[in-house]
Amino acid sequence: MTEEELPQADVDSDQDVIARIIAGDRNAFAMLIGRYSDPLYRHALGMTGSPDVAEDILQTSFIKAFQHLGEVRGRFDAWLFRIVANGCKDWLKNIRRTHLSYDEDDQPSTYASPDEDLDRTELRTDLDDALAQLAASLREAFIMKHVEGRSYEEMADLLGTTVGALKMRVHRAREALQALLEEKYA
Amino acid sequence: MLDRHEAHEKGQELPHRDAADRAVTNRPAADREVPLPGTAAAEGSALVIQQWLDGEVSETEARRADAKQVDMWNRVHLDTAARRRMVTPSHVMANVMAAIPDAPFEKQVAMAAVIDTMVSTPAGRVSRSAALVIGAGLFAAGIVLGKLL
Repeated sequence: MTEEELPQADVDSDQDVIARIIAGDRNAFAMLIGRYSDPLYRHALGMTGSPDVAEDILQTSFIKAFQHLGEVRGRFDAWLFRIVANGCKDWLKNIRRTHLSYDEDDQPSTYASPDEDLDRTELRTDLDDALAQLAASLREAFIMKHVEGRSYEEMADLLGTTVGALKMRVHRAREALQALLEEKYA
Repeated sequence: MLDRHEAHEKGQELPHRDAADRAVTNRPAADREVPLPGTAAAEGSALVIQQWLDGEVSETEARRADAKQVDMWNRVHLDTAARRRMVTPSHVMANVMAAIPDAPFEKQVAMAAVIDTMVSTPAGRVSRSAALVIGAGLFAAGIVLGKLL
């Protein structure tokens, strides 16, 4: 039986798992990775546009999280999200500063189904290019809303800002994307 | 509709979420980001499209405002829905587990235990007092020796 199939009461809370890890059960960390890696990977991939970079950021973030587990106060998932989100923003700052192109490193992403693996459409490339032109905060808001499927309330919780501010960011991101895509797609 | 999925995921009824969103719009203006000077806020058909993308109006209504934009966003939606099904490559977990140390907390826990003992036990306080007396004695002896020489 997988963790998802277990009744809620039988699933260890994040705090329980963290307590086990701190007590010396290093392998319990795999449980936390399993719980949160997919949404965080999608976030990193959306922010960077590169599967290789997204993997690197995710790995580094999980290792950093493990090393600082004893410092977790409040929600572990929000704390971990901030580590990954900051990793993405740092990478974006560096890539812009050095004017490097990461397109060359881009490889097909990992999908849930093999059919999707073949469906790397022109729209995807165009959308990636358009997203890359957005300011990091707008890209982050769009990815969280439309790729990760989070509610504005959840986004506000994770980013420590207001629903109104995030709505404005998402609206601006859509306007910018619309301007970049509509000539070809509308 | 582009972003109704999260409400379904949480088993939440849509009107509840919409009501929550409406409550948010009642917050003071200072609590919200506002358009930069010179940047027009969405209005007319653009506003309807934004509202549709936020799940506030129906697709029919949005189509009436701008059918081409609705078609474009539906295509974008197909792509974002595919991205939402992406999973982490399995080697990522293996790499992380291989990279993390065996017992990162032993040293910290041991050190914390030593500090606790020093600070909280009477024996610890005695040790600290004794160290202070010895230090003061050595300092005084140094002064005396300095005068003698």
